[in-house]
Amino acid sequence: MNSISFIFLVCLYALFFIYEAIGGIKIENQIFYCSMLIIAFGIPHGALDHILFFKKRNTSQVKFYSIYLGLVLFFILLWIYYPTLSLTLFLIISAFHFGESQFEDLDIKNYLNSLLLYLVWGLSLLINLIFYNVDELNVLTTLFKDTESFYYLYNHKYVTYGFILFNLASTGLLFNLLYNKIINWNKLLSELFLFGLIHLTFFLFPFIIGFTLYFVILHSIRVMKYEYDFFKKESNNFNLFVFLKLVTPYTLLSLFFSGLVFILSFKEIISISIPLLSLIIISAITLPHAIVMHIFYREK
Amino acid sequence: MLLDITTMAPDDYVGFTFFIGYMAMAAAAVFFFIERGSVDPKWKMSLLVSGLITGIAAVHYFYMRDYYLATGDNPTFFRYVDWTLTVPLMCVEFYLLTKVAGARKSLLWKLIFASTWMLVCGYIGEAFNPAGGSTSHSVTWGVLSTLGYLYILHSVWMGEVAKLADESKSDVVKKGVRALAWFVLVGWAIYPIGYMCMDGGWLNSALGWSSQNVDLWYNIADAINKIGFGLVVYNIAITESKK
Repeated sequence: MNSISFIFLVCLYALFFIYEAIGGIKIENQIFYCSMLIIAFGIPHGALDHILFFKKRNTSQVKFYSIYLGLVLFFILLWIYYPTLSLTLFLIISAFHFGESQFEDLDIKNYLNSLLLYLVWGLSLLINLIFYNVDELNVLTTLFKDTESFYYLYNHKYVTYGFILFNLASTGLLFNLLYNKIINWNKLLSELFLFGLIHLTFFLFPFIIGFTLYFVILHSIRVMKYEYDFFKKESNNFNLFVFLKLVTPYTLLSLFFSGLVFILSFKEIISISIPLLSLIIISAITLPHAIVMHIFYREK
Repeated sequence: MLLDITTMAPDDYVGFTFFIGYMAMAAAAVFFFIERGSVDPKWKMSLLVSGLITGIAAVHYFYMRDYYLATGDNPTFFRYVDWTLTVPLMCVEFYLLTKVAGARKSLLWKLIFASTWMLVCGYIGEAFNPAGGSTSHSVTWGVLSTLGYLYILHSVWMGEVAKLADESKSDVVKKGVRALAWFVLVGWAIYPIGYMCMDGGWLNSALGWSSQNVDLWYNIADAINKIGFGLVVYNIAITESKK
């Protein structure tokens, strides 16, 4: 267990007692507080992409920003024309990105094996979240007309098959790492324990809370800690204040544009519901972020 | 009291595990006391403590078994008396193992205080819960108790104990402390689940998990944690003594 898993465990215990004390959290409050947490930690964790990229590649700034923003634009257009395909693609990219950030510390020599582990672990994570909260997802997506078409993704017997298949595959791949001496017993137990905790979180808490707990602590804070350690290793003068100064400009810029789009939706200038708009924005910034982080992890 | 019991239902798993737990703890205590003679003098104290943990638990299991068979109730009082004695002793084991790497007496007292705090708060929360279950009472004492648990957990995984184990020159001690830390993380996690299953607890009110079968899990967890803990210590002591 590392410090991130410990924070996750502490938050889990805190939530147990909050639930015991107040009996549950209203959906409006869930959305509000979880959005705040996702914005506060999720956006900054990707706000250093440009710095991390230039640490590894000698590309011109114009080329980097053209490709980065081009990918954002590409995903937005894809959402407009093919929403179902976009959602599927977004889930696959997110799954891979989550898996890669979880196992970035492993020295897996075979590139394809590492890709398989990242993808399968990430997919099992997402399918667990869906599997334990199918009823809730039904209600959430049918609240808005433009999210009704996503019904196909979870209200199906294939979710159960996927749940069994991907969990077995993830566990099998972890044991395979042990067999190939890439990890030891202690690391295997740590990963299995954390995986069990994630299962418990998704089972006990509503969809939004479960996802936020995972995304904020086990993904965003973990990645930010990795980034912080990277810069700290480069310079002894690097501290939390310098780190915050680095993440602030692009965090504010992202917040400004996201806020603008939400206002346009709220005023019905853009005819897309807030949940779908959130999905589009998140997936549009996830694609280039996942690519930059992949390069960064590969060339560390 | 046991003499008054004439029949036992074959599917009374709680009663079954009380018998098993009692005998296993007693056997483990005898084992640790006898094996104390096979290890280096510096490890004798660790094995004595392991024997005391399982020995004290065996005596309490003797009482708890009778209490359960006679009344059919959860023997909460005896359980907490047992834990209040044995859990701080488990923390003493961490101190004894890391002493070779320079652990100070202050670490011992901090761990004893945290474990006693955890158990006293847990006892107040469980035993003095008003009839029907008071959520505020359960939450308040549950939170306070959990603080003690998290302190120990932090200490053995990332704090003073973990750092001392890393500084130890012995790989056996390092691995042993890590194994004991797993007992604290996974083995001890069963107890808060039992706490939240009682009347007024969240798992009881939200998911309908009752405290009726909590004893079954407590008995299994106690046997694994106490005997397992002792066996890990025994393995360290015997391996280091052979060097």
